[in-house]
Amino acid sequence: MTNPSELTISRLIAAPPAVVWNAWSMPENLEKWWIPAPIECRVDTLDLRPGGGFVTRMREEGAADFQPHVDGCFLDVVPEQKIVFTTVLTEGWQPADPWLALTAILTFEPQDGGTLYAARVLHKNPGDSSKHLELGFHEGWGTAIAQLAELTER
Amino acid sequence: MANQQTSLDTVFHALADPTRRAVIGRLLGGAAPVKRLAEPFAMGLPAFMKHLSVLETSGLIRSEKAGRVRTCHLNADRLAAAEDWLSEQRAIWQGRTNRLAAFVESQNPPTK
Repeated sequence: MTNPSELTISRLIAAPPAVVWNAWSMPENLEKWWIPAPIECRVDTLDLRPGGGFVTRMREEGAADFQPHVDGCFLDVVPEQKIVFTTVLTEGWQPADPWLALTAILTFEPQDGGTLYAARVLHKNPGDSSKHLELGFHEGWGTAIAQLAELTER
Repeated sequence: MANQQTSLDTVFHALADPTRRAVIGRLLGGAAPVKRLAEPFAMGLPAFMKHLSVLETSGLIRSEKAGRVRTCHLNADRLAAAEDWLSEQRAIWQGRTNRLAAFVESQNPPTK
């Protein structure tokens, strides 16, 4: 049984782990792919060591200010092999109450001259999340949307 | 659809705030003018307008002005996209992984 609040993405990348690692570990590289264009990404903190801060911000097209995006803490870092970060803590293991609690486990494995890159992302059980309950995600939310769609389509 | 995935990060960010979630909840009951939307909140109109602007940027709401009254509407399809949040998280990470691969492979062209 897989945990319903966990997901795994993996992909073979045609470059050795050292190159993929550089795309992750250098702010100017991370900024280029971390958030989809045209939203602009700014890496404020990328302190790749256990307890180090991980802060990215995003700016919409035409907006003046950058908005919060990720504010987390690295838990485990093995160069060219592994990065683990969480949003439940911020820099220096400071407990936080993020809008989206997650732990991401990213691995870089050499394979066929390239890299098998995998992201395993753990979330709280959605059933436990007061934020989703508050939004009514589990109580007739779909019905409300269907009704609204009907209303607007008339 | 691709466009919708692009902005999912902003949808979740927009839904991260209790004031903004309350506005969405209110708009589920139908469109409403900004003035009436702002009434329940103990904040100045400029601060409230900032929240509306985040919601509008995310595509969760749209607004139109008629005379001096600006009315907000909910975009139900965008909300539905955020509903199945785990599959949306998956889409975000999938997109991220694809962009990482594209970035790395453009830096490191495979030798034929």
